[in-house]
Amino acid sequence: MKSRFDLMLLVVAAVVLAVLPMFVTGYVLYVVNLLMVFVVLALGMHLVIGETGQFALSHAAFYGIGIYTAGLLNNHFQLPFILSILAGSLLTACLGYMLGALALRMRDIYLALSTFAFGEAMQWVFMNWNSVTNGSNGFRIAPAQIFGYALTNDLRAYPFVIVITALMLWATVWISRSQLGSAFRAVRESDIAALAMGVDVNRVKRMAFTLSAAYAGLAGGLYTTFSSFVHPESLGFQTTILVLTMVVVGGIGSVRGAILGAIGFGLISELLRQALSFQEIIYGAILMGFMMFAPRGLFAERRKRVRITSTTHAPAPVVATRASGESA
Amino acid sequence: MSGADIWLFLQQGILSGLVTGSVYALLAVAVVIIFKTTDVPNFAQGELFMVGAYVALFLVLVMGWAYWLVIPVTIAVVMVAAALFQRVVMERVIASRGVGVQLVIATLGLAYVLKGLVRTTGLGDTPRSLPPLASTSAIMIGDAVLTRLDLLIFAVAIIVMALLFAMFAWTRTGRAMRAVGMNARGAQRVGVNLSRVRMMVWGLSGLISAIAAVLITPKILITPDIAHVAILAFAAAIVGGMSSVPGAVLGGFIIGIAENLVGLFISTNAIVVAPFLAIMIVLIVRPQGILGGRLQVKKV
Repeated sequence: MKSRFDLMLLVVAAVVLAVLPMFVTGYVLYVVNLLMVFVVLALGMHLVIGETGQFALSHAAFYGIGIYTAGLLNNHFQLPFILSILAGSLLTACLGYMLGALALRMRDIYLALSTFAFGEAMQWVFMNWNSVTNGSNGFRIAPAQIFGYALTNDLRAYPFVIVITALMLWATVWISRSQLGSAFRAVRESDIAALAMGVDVNRVKRMAFTLSAAYAGLAGGLYTTFSSFVHPESLGFQTTILVLTMVVVGGIGSVRGAILGAIGFGLISELLRQALSFQEIIYGAILMGFMMFAPRGLFAERRKRVRITSTTHAPAPVVATRASGESA
Repeated sequence: MSGADIWLFLQQGILSGLVTGSVYALLAVAVVIIFKTTDVPNFAQGELFMVGAYVALFLVLVMGWAYWLVIPVTIAVVMVAAALFQRVVMERVIASRGVGVQLVIATLGLAYVLKGLVRTTGLGDTPRSLPPLASTSAIMIGDAVLTRLDLLIFAVAIIVMALLFAMFAWTRTGRAMRAVGMNARGAQRVGVNLSRVRMMVWGLSGLISAIAAVLITPKILITPDIAHVAILAFAAAIVGGMSSVPGAVLGGFIIGIAENLVGLFISTNAIVVAPFLAIMIVLIVRPQGILGGRLQVKKV
């Protein structure tokens, strides 16, 4: 039932995205590109918070590192954009691995605070490392190249952004259904119980951090393909919170929730950009309202017990795997 | 840099650090008491502090009230706002089975709402300052220069903290708060009204934030971004141990002094990054903080 619904959603989304460039102008395409970046960011956050239950607040930092790495490589070496994106993603993956190794010593709130500290420190670096990042004047990104085809505007970047986002979605579902995905969820439910079941908890947590950071770095690279400017102001805690909100309000543990949350909140933040004070009030009210009345979000993973006792005719083992890989 | 310079900088850094540190210590105590009793790191702490500053600013600037009236009204407003937030929003989140992530996001929601509300008033558009409570003429202590205002800030902060300790030690309410911090379910069993205590703790935290705001704002420019001060308070709380009130006080002084010494010896630019380094180092070396006690292990 549910996967058929998801399939329908995917088909509708694919059709809409395919015909969109025929009907809309530059700005709308820019917003769609941006929303795709948010989708990739949200998928990364989903892996670490939704699947693994680790509270990480360093997403904007990795996103920023991805932007600067890809942007700098592109500006100075005119690398094909695929290579510059991969380089940014690889670098953030390494940093994520190291942060994950540190994070093994901490849990819950201490983890949140140390990743928060990392994020703030990185923003400070973006802001003050003038010779590399051009500091608070912001950073200009030259158009990326792919086999001599310059991605000079939103329309030209659009197909690549869509394809890479789709790939990341596929990767997320694949990870989620793999053994690693089951290990993620086992750690989320109880790392001690997971340990007792023979899950290498430390390795699993490190993997979650590494993957999530790689996603964020990739999202940063993706951003450089259609945008020509970034300011370190936009790479701070607010961005991390925006992504966290997408995942939590969309539905903790649900890929569909993360994507729809990314699109919904991405649109809200773009639409309310002009009215800062109202943006903040509305945004804060949404956050509080959701936490009060639907704390698990719109498309939360349903409780497993409900799934298993539901009237399905599939044989028991299939139901069990479906239940554990349900977030797809 | 000669030996005499270093000695002078040390004195100045430590004394100025004690003054700013006392304000961080107040805010860190506000963070810690909420964290202890409700398990929530209050990410809206800085915004409560900011709202305190703006309420005082509004009363002084627009209403033209005298300070003796402004201070109690400011404290009352922030206290009621914080207590109401716990009563209306947080209790509801707890009731709908929200846990860590959800509670934190609710405080972030409060932070955004408060910031947006301040901006809509129009007061937030230009940086302003409150008239000082005491004279800002210089006083020499050793070789260091302080002002009467600095001494007043330090004295008031110390008195407030002493009163808090007395309250936690000797009053029924204070003991109930401590009991909830140690074991909420146990406290409930022996007749403590949990939601009432949680509300009072938030109110108390609002009260402390308002006092900190009134104390420090004559020294700094008020903008909607002064909530950033709370990051230093968080750093202080982590350094001292998130669940220890004396630790928060100690952490506040450490952060204040470190900040001033870094500013004098390295550069004012490095001040911004110092607290994060402090957080990272403490979390790596001693994750529970200096006075954090033994590390708690979650049971299955």
